[in-house]
Amino acid sequence: MADPARFEDDVLPLLPQLYPAALRLTRHPADAEDLLQETLLRAFRGYGGFKAGTNLRAWLYRILTNTYINRYRRQSRQPTEVELGELEDLYLYRRLGQESGAARSAEEEALERFVDEDIKAAVESLPEVFRLPVLLADVEGFSYKEIARIMEVPIGTVMSRLHRGRKALEKALWEITERRGTVGTPA
Amino acid sequence: MSHHHHRCDKAQALVYRYLDGEIIWFRRIRVRRHLRHCPPCEHGFHFEEWLKRRVHDGCYEEIPTPVYERLRAVLRELPVEGDTGG
Repeated sequence: MADPARFEDDVLPLLPQLYPAALRLTRHPADAEDLLQETLLRAFRGYGGFKAGTNLRAWLYRILTNTYINRYRRQSRQPTEVELGELEDLYLYRRLGQESGAARSAEEEALERFVDEDIKAAVESLPEVFRLPVLLADVEGFSYKEIARIMEVPIGTVMSRLHRGRKALEKALWEITERRGTVGTPA
Repeated sequence: MSHHHHRCDKAQALVYRYLDGEIIWFRRIRVRRHLRHCPPCEHGFHFEEWLKRRVHDGCYEEIPTPVYERLRAVLRELPVEGDTGG
């Protein structure tokens, strides 16, 4: 059993880590703050049931995720399953390489041209079923097993959603590149 | 040639799991061996590794101080155990 009196001390240091995930999920700072506030209240109510010494961070993300799904999915009416079509492996790499010629590091150079806003826009463009595992894996660094617990789905589902989500992310980044029309030359 | 292609396909299908460190040891060895002998795949894997880091860094967001302070206030106002008992 965790000691509720310690809740503030235990949870406060994790707030800066939870914030980016809340913002990428809700897409708006005000909603992110609301989501975090509700997450804290729910976490506090459930804190007595949290086993001290186990992964508090993963536990909080699980509450954050559930809160988000209960509260925002209802509003946004997003489909829970999305058809992406079959995207090939190394999707972005192939395209950047084709466009920018034979230079060995051309793909990396093209990648460097993405600014943080491009990355954020690409992540936020992902349907929620894919955005969540991508955030949990790439941004928060959770293992597949932890993500499966957080999202309450089997590990095989995590793997396939992460696989498809990352490809969709590569496609979104490629579309940003195309729209800009500056592959291979500095913007 | 087709044999070589087949191996590329297999390795590339595992790229995310390989980079996430979520792949069983004998497959990891097989992929690593393939990468040693296949510079295009090796380069592609490097690219994916780079992209993963770029996504991580690009999504970084500092919590604004006012937001942090407001959430801290929420935590402060939570009832401490024993309060309810009087």
